[in-house]
Amino acid sequence: MFTMIQKLASLKFTLAGMILLAIGASLSYGNPTGVSVWVLIVPMVMLAMNLSAAILTNPRINQQSGLLTFHVSLLSIVILAAVGRLTHMDAHIELVVGSEFSHQNLQEVQSGPLHGGDIEAVSFLQGPYSVQYAPGMQRGLTHSHVKVKNMQGEWQDTVVGDDRPLVIDGYRFYTTFNKGFAPVLTWVPDQGQAATGTVNMPSYPLFDYKQDNHWTPPGGDEIKFWLQLQTSMDVESAWVLEQSSSSGVLIVTTPTKRHEVPLGESVRLGSGRLHFGELRMWMGYRLFYDPTIQWMFFVSIAGVAGLGYYFWKKINLNPWVEGSATDTSIPTNTGAETEKDSHSVIASGTVVSTSPDSSEAGGPIHVPDSRAEPNQHADVFAENSGKKQALGDQA
Amino acid sequence: MNGIASELPWLWAGLGAYFVATLIAMWGVVPRFAGVPFVKTKRHEVVVLTFLVIGVLLLTLAISARWIRIGHGPWISLFELLMSQLWSLGIIFSLLYWRLSGLRPSAVIVLPVMWILGSWVLTLEPTASHFPATYYNSWKWVHVGLGKVFLALLLAGVGLAGVMILRRTQRGLRWFSSMPSDAVVDHLAWRFMMLALVFDSLMLIAGAVWAQDAWGRYWAWDSLETSAFLTWLFLAIGLHVRLSYRVPAWASGLIIIGIFAMAFATYFGMPYISPSAHKGMV
Repeated sequence: MFTMIQKLASLKFTLAGMILLAIGASLSYGNPTGVSVWVLIVPMVMLAMNLSAAILTNPRINQQSGLLTFHVSLLSIVILAAVGRLTHMDAHIELVVGSEFSHQNLQEVQSGPLHGGDIEAVSFLQGPYSVQYAPGMQRGLTHSHVKVKNMQGEWQDTVVGDDRPLVIDGYRFYTTFNKGFAPVLTWVPDQGQAATGTVNMPSYPLFDYKQDNHWTPPGGDEIKFWLQLQTSMDVESAWVLEQSSSSGVLIVTTPTKRHEVPLGESVRLGSGRLHFGELRMWMGYRLFYDPTIQWMFFVSIAGVAGLGYYFWKKINLNPWVEGSATDTSIPTNTGAETEKDSHSVIASGTVVSTSPDSSEAGGPIHVPDSRAEPNQHADVFAENSGKKQALGDQA
Repeated sequence: MNGIASELPWLWAGLGAYFVATLIAMWGVVPRFAGVPFVKTKRHEVVVLTFLVIGVLLLTLAISARWIRIGHGPWISLFELLMSQLWSLGIIFSLLYWRLSGLRPSAVIVLPVMWILGSWVLTLEPTASHFPATYYNSWKWVHVGLGKVFLALLLAGVGLAGVMILRRTQRGLRWFSSMPSDAVVDHLAWRFMMLALVFDSLMLIAGAVWAQDAWGRYWAWDSLETSAFLTWLFLAIGLHVRLSYRVPAWASGLIIIGIFAMAFATYFGMPYISPSAHKGMV
C-alpha cells in the first residue's frame, strides 16, 4: 500500500499533472464557459492525489515545515474551491429606490447543491443613489445609500458602491453598471382594487435611446410605455446621474391610442385609469455568496508564508553565495566545473575559498527522496556548505 | 489629451540615461577593453549604476508630471504601464546591480530587454486615460507593487539565463569570462526564480482580493487571470524540473526565458488584447 502511495507521489506524475493543467487552462483561454470544466478538474484531481501522496511519503516535503505548509495550503485551496462551488450562490437583483430586498425577486440564481445560507433572513432597504460620469460617458464612482438593520433592529444608513459591497450574513451585494429609471404607476380598475407598482426601464444611460417596456393589466390589453427622460446627461462634460435631477414624460400606447402622461397625471385606458405618480430609479446588484473566501485568503497567505520561510532559511544560511562543485548539495548542471570554478563567488571582490566540509551548521540536507529520479538529487534549494560568503561585495 | 504631455521630456531623458548605462555596460564586457584601467578597476560599473539611478530619478519625474497632468497614477493605459515598469525595473535592477556585484555583467542582457519596453513606450500616444471606479481600491497598490517585484526578479533571472546561453558561443565565453561558472550562475538565476514564485503567488492573492471587491468574484478565468495562472504554473513547472533533473545550463536558461516570455505577454499583451473585465473599464 505504502509503495503504491509512493508511486502516486512521483514527481513525474506531478509534472504530468501540471502540464495537463497548463493545457486545460490554455484550452479555456478567453472562453472559460465554452470549454468543458473537466479540462481543469481532471488535472487538478490528479495533482491533488499526487500532492496528498507526496505530503504523506516524501520527507523532503513532510520534514520541512515551510514546504509542508506550502503544499498543504495548495491542497487546501483546491478543497476549499470545491467546497466553495458546492455552497456558493450567485444571482442578480434590481431594486427600486425605496423598496426592500426580497429573495423572491432574485434573477439568474445559481447555487451549489450544498448551499446553506439563509438568504430569506437578509433584509435591507434601497435608498437613493448617484453615479458620476466623466466626459465621454465614462462611468465613475457609484454611491448607493442603503438602510440595514443594526443589532438593535433599527435601520441604519450605509453607502456602498463599486468596490465596497454590502455584506449581510455572508451575502455580498455589489452595485453594477446596470441601473435605470422606474416609473411608479397606479392602476385603478373600474371594478376591483387599485394596485401600485413599478415598471423598470432598460439600463440607463446605456440604453437611453430605448427607454421602453410594456405591461398588461388584469383582463385588459397590453400597454406599451416609453419614457421621455430629462436628465443632466452630457456626453461632452462631467455629470451626475441621480433621481433628484431627473424627470420624464411617460408615453402610453394602447392598441388604439397614444397618450402623453406627465408626472403626477393620469390617463383613462379601457377598463381603468393609469396614474403616473413618481419617477424613481432602480439599481442592479450582483449577489455573491461563498463561505470559503476568508478561509481561502488565510490559507493562501499561510502557504506563501511557508514557502517564503523555506526559501528564506535556505538563502539566509548562505546569502547569495555559490559554493563549490564539490558541495554535493549544489547542482552541477554543466558537469564542466573546474577547480577554479569550485572557488567562484558571485562577487567581484576577494575570492573566498569555499569549504567542501558539510559537517558545519547549515550543511546539505540529504533526505532520501522517493520522488527524485535516480541520480537526480540536485537540489537548488538545499543549503550550501557552512562557509558564508557575501555575494554582493561593496567594491 | 489633457494639455501638453509634460511627462515626455522627462521620459526621453530617463530613457537616454538608461541608454548610456546600456552602452557603458556593453563596453565593460568587450574583451578588447578589458585592459583599460577604467574597466579593469570596475569603475565603469559605478558609472553604469549612476546612469541607472539618474534614469530612475528622471522617470520618477516623468510619472509625477503625468500624474499631476491627468490626475491619477500610471495604472491604466499601455503607455502608463510601460513607463511605470521601466521605472520599477530600473529601481530593482539598480539595487541588485549595487548589492550583487557578480551579476553586473548580465546588465548587457537585462538593459536591452528593458529597452524593448523603452522603444515601445516611445511609439505610443501619451493620451490621458480614464480612471475606473474599481481602481480606487487599496489592494491595487499591493497587487501592482508585488507584480513589479515579481517581474524584476524574473528579469534578473533572464540576465543570468542569457549569460548561460551566450556562453555556448566563443564570443559569449569571452564577454562573460569574469563571471563565475555556469553552475554558479545557474544556481543564482534559480534563486531569483524562487523568490519570483513567492512574489507571483502574493501578487495573485492580492489580485484575487481586489477582484472580489471590484468585480464580485475572486477568480473568473478571464484572459488575464488565465495568463497569470499559466505564468505561475510555468514557474512552478520550471522549479520542479530544475529541482529534480540534471538540466544543462543552456536548457536551464531557456526555461527561465520561456517563463519570462509568458510573464511578459501577461503584463504587456493580455490586458490590451482582451475585452475582459480585467482591462479595468467596467
